[in-house]
This record gives sequence, C-alpha cells and structure tokens, in this order.
Amino acid sequence: MRWTNFSRRSCRGFFVGSAYGLLALGMGLVYGVSGIVNFAHGDFVSLGMYLCFALFTAFALDPYVSVIFTVPIMIALGALVYRFLIKPIAGRQLLMVIQLTLGVALLIQNGLMMAFGGQPTRAPSMIESKLFLVGDVVIRGAHLVACIVSFALAILLYVMLQSTDTGRAIRAVQQEPRAAALMGVDVGRVQVMTFAIGVGLLAIAAALLLPGLPIQPTQGLRFTVITLLVFVLGGMTNFVAIMLGGIVIGVAEAIGTIYMTHTLGQLLPYLIFVAIMLFRPQGLVWRS
Amino acid sequence: MLEMQGVTAGYEGVPVLRDVSVNVGRGELVGLLGANNAGKSTLINVISGIVPIMSGRLMFDGEDISRVGAQRRVELGLVQVPEGRHVFPQMSVRENLLLGGYNRKARPERGANMDHVVSLFPRLGERLGQLAGTLSGGEQQMVAIGRGLMAGARVLMLDEPSLGLSPLFVQFIFEIIDKLHAEGMTILLVEQNLSLTVRHADRCYVLERGVVAVEGASATVADDPRTRAAYLGM
Repeated sequence: MRWTNFSRRSCRGFFVGSAYGLLALGMGLVYGVSGIVNFAHGDFVSLGMYLCFALFTAFALDPYVSVIFTVPIMIALGALVYRFLIKPIAGRQLLMVIQLTLGVALLIQNGLMMAFGGQPTRAPSMIESKLFLVGDVVIRGAHLVACIVSFALAILLYVMLQSTDTGRAIRAVQQEPRAAALMGVDVGRVQVMTFAIGVGLLAIAAALLLPGLPIQPTQGLRFTVITLLVFVLGGMTNFVAIMLGGIVIGVAEAIGTIYMTHTLGQLLPYLIFVAIMLFRPQGLVWRS
Repeated sequence: MLEMQGVTAGYEGVPVLRDVSVNVGRGELVGLLGANNAGKSTLINVISGIVPIMSGRLMFDGEDISRVGAQRRVELGLVQVPEGRHVFPQMSVRENLLLGGYNRKARPERGANMDHVVSLFPRLGERLGQLAGTLSGGEQQMVAIGRGLMAGARVLMLDEPSLGLSPLFVQFIFEIIDKLHAEGMTILLVEQNLSLTVRHADRCYVLERGVVAVEGASATVADDPRTRAAYLGM
C-alpha cells in the first residue's frame, strides 16, 4: 500500500513536473535572447488560466479547446508587453527590469482580482475525471495529457531552434547579438518574438495545469517561484536539463507530502533545490 | 560604387569621424589604415548603419543610403566581417555559414555560396559539423569571412582580419583576400598593419584622429612621411 502510494505520487510528480519544465523553457528562451528574468511569468500563467475560466463560463468551452483562443491572445499580449514596457529598459540595470516585471505581476494579479473576485474557482475539463490504471498505479487523464503535450512542445521547440532559419536566428542573438545584427538579423524583432512565444507557451501550460486545480488571482507568485527553481536547476538555457529540472521539482513536490506533514512536505522542492545548488551550482547537466 | 561624402559621425553626439570622404570603386581593394582609435572601425560601422551619420552623405550604387537601416544594407550587399571574428560559438561551422545567408536576398543562393566558401576554405569543408567555438583563431577568421560571403557581399568590409593570428594564418588570410579581389570582389580592408596592407591594396586611406590624413595609391601612401606621422601621432 505504501509502495503504491509512492509510485502513484511519483507518476503524478513526473507528469506535472513536465509541465513545470515547459514553464521554465519559456523563461529560458526569453532569458537567453534578452537577458531578462520575467518575474511576472507565473502571473501570465494565472492570466492564461483565467482566460480559460472566462471562456468556460461564457461559452462552456473546455480548457483544452480554449487554447485555440488563449494562445494567440497571450502571444499578442506578450509582444505588446515586451515592445512597450520591457524593451525601453532592457539592458539597463537588472533591478529595474525586476521591478518592472514585478509591477506587471501586480497589475495582472489585481486586474484578475477586479474581474473575477478573490475567491478560489475552477474551470473543469471533461477529461478531468478520466482515470487510467497501469498495474496498481492510477493515472489521471489530465496529467497524462500534460506530460505528453509538454514533451511534444519541448521537442518541437528544440527542433525549431536547431533546424529552422528562425531558430538559428534566435540562437545567434543569444550567442553574439552584434554579429547577428551584422548578418542582417533584426535583433529587436527576434527579442519581441521570443518573448511572445514564451508567453504563448504559458497559455498552453496554463491549460495543461488547469484541470483539477482550484485557481485564485494571487497564485501567480507560486508558479513564478516554481519556474525559477526549475530554470536555475536546469542551468538556465539548457533545454534537456530544464525539462529534467521540472521533473525533479514535480516529483519532489508530489512525494514530499506523503512522508512529511503537509507544510513540511511542501518545503521539499526548496530543500532539494538548495542541496543541488550547493553541490552542483552549474545546474543538473553540464556542458563543455 | 561606395562613396562617403564629408561624413561626420560618432556616438551619443560626440563626433569620432569629422568630414571624412572615402570612395571605393567596383572591384577595388581599398585599405583603411591608422593607429588605434583613429576611427577605422567607426567608419565601417557607419557604412554598416550601426553608427548614425550626423552630417554628410553615404552613396551606394548612385543612391543615397544615409538613412537606410542596417538590415537593409546587408541585403544590398554591404557586409561587414567584424573585428575579433565574433563567430557563433555554440553553432556548427555549417550553421554559422547558413546564418550568414540569413538575409532575404542571400537565402536562395545559399547552396552556391556554400560551395564557393568551401572551395576557398577546404579546411572549413572538413569541419562543417564542428562547433565554431572550438576552432582555432585562424579557422574562426575563415568562418567569419565565409559568413560574410554567404551574406551575398558585394562590398566586403574586413575589420582587422589579421588581428591575433599567427604569421602563417595572416599570410593565408591575405592570400584569400587577393583571391577574392582577383575574382572581382570589392573589398574595404581595415588594418593596422601598414606594410602588409600597402602590399595588397590598390589604394589606401590613412585616418588620424577621425580625419583622413593621407590618401592615394598604396605605394605613394607608404612613402608619404605624413603616414608615419599619423601612426606615431605626431
């Protein structure tokens, strides 16, 4: 019984962790190209979730279907935020950028509070109650979908970066922005585009994490912190390591609550994070 | 082909170049000489559209391109190979070259340009899959020049291509420059190395603290006492 519980939790952690990995990929992409750590990251996830919620209440749309609308909306929003808020101060003091993105976070949080009220709510999906049995392990349909879509997107993103002109341009801007500009790459456009893609990814991650999860306007910071953990754990720009980091944090979070009291269990991801940072400060996977 | 007419330009309102006129004819190999901080790099950055012009004009193929954006200038064929090479270290040689051909005009010709680059630098052909960051300085310079050719350069601007290279590689790079020149490429060569440049270039300009101190055929520039004065800052 104990063992079943452990494997069930691990599975759940693995699945949810892959979605955390996706959250952190968005952050890694933006950081690589613009050197910006976006502290409103989790609040964009929140926003994505509430957009799904709004579409559910208005048209009874399933969150998975809402993605068709939320992704373009969030991409457009990401482009606007980057172009008009972040770009003017990018490259200045790090603290200014942090303050600005924290400001955006508060703006989203309070905007959601105004529009939807402060009480927790839910946007159910029809797949939510679907369960699969593999051996003794019960797997929730929504978690399985989250995992498959996250990995598929990670692979898609990787292939895009590796073998398309746009992907190469993104990597060129990461590595040598000046030389990229001399080769005719519009560096500013690439930065807006990656930020928009990053926020668009969050819209998808939001829908993946939504089923079964009660949402409230103030939850954003929790997602930001999880994303930061995964992002740093993954060595910031290494894709494989970021996905791996997501899984480590997801599993730690899921297992923590079995063996320890609830509050202490929730600390486990942070303890693991501190331990890894102490002994492997370069991140989980290193590169020559 | 390329004509800079009385250009004053610099950074944040402080002029580095003052009333500079330089012209490069089609198929010419023109040397741009001068000591450190004479304004050589600023001059080619003005041509690349990275440093704005305060006054004067920049003409290319008879058209005023003073206000044309940096990206568009690459498409027109004004391509700079930057000082210090600046290859993309985490990309393979092949990807570096492909990125060189990123601009709209050059993209359809990437295959042919790649063949040309590999024939000029057989050594790169052997290392297409290797990460550019792991190459020697000389090989990186080959990648940087190759990348410029991939961009469909009509005027190739080389900023200190010999910088930090072993004598053997310097010789090799200059042989390549001669070869490109013989193929009819227009080249603007920025160098500190006076004797090497005057041996290869058709004409030279010597910059001194932001103004053209000496200009003319390479041999006369080399013999002009003002050239030496410009280098020594006298």
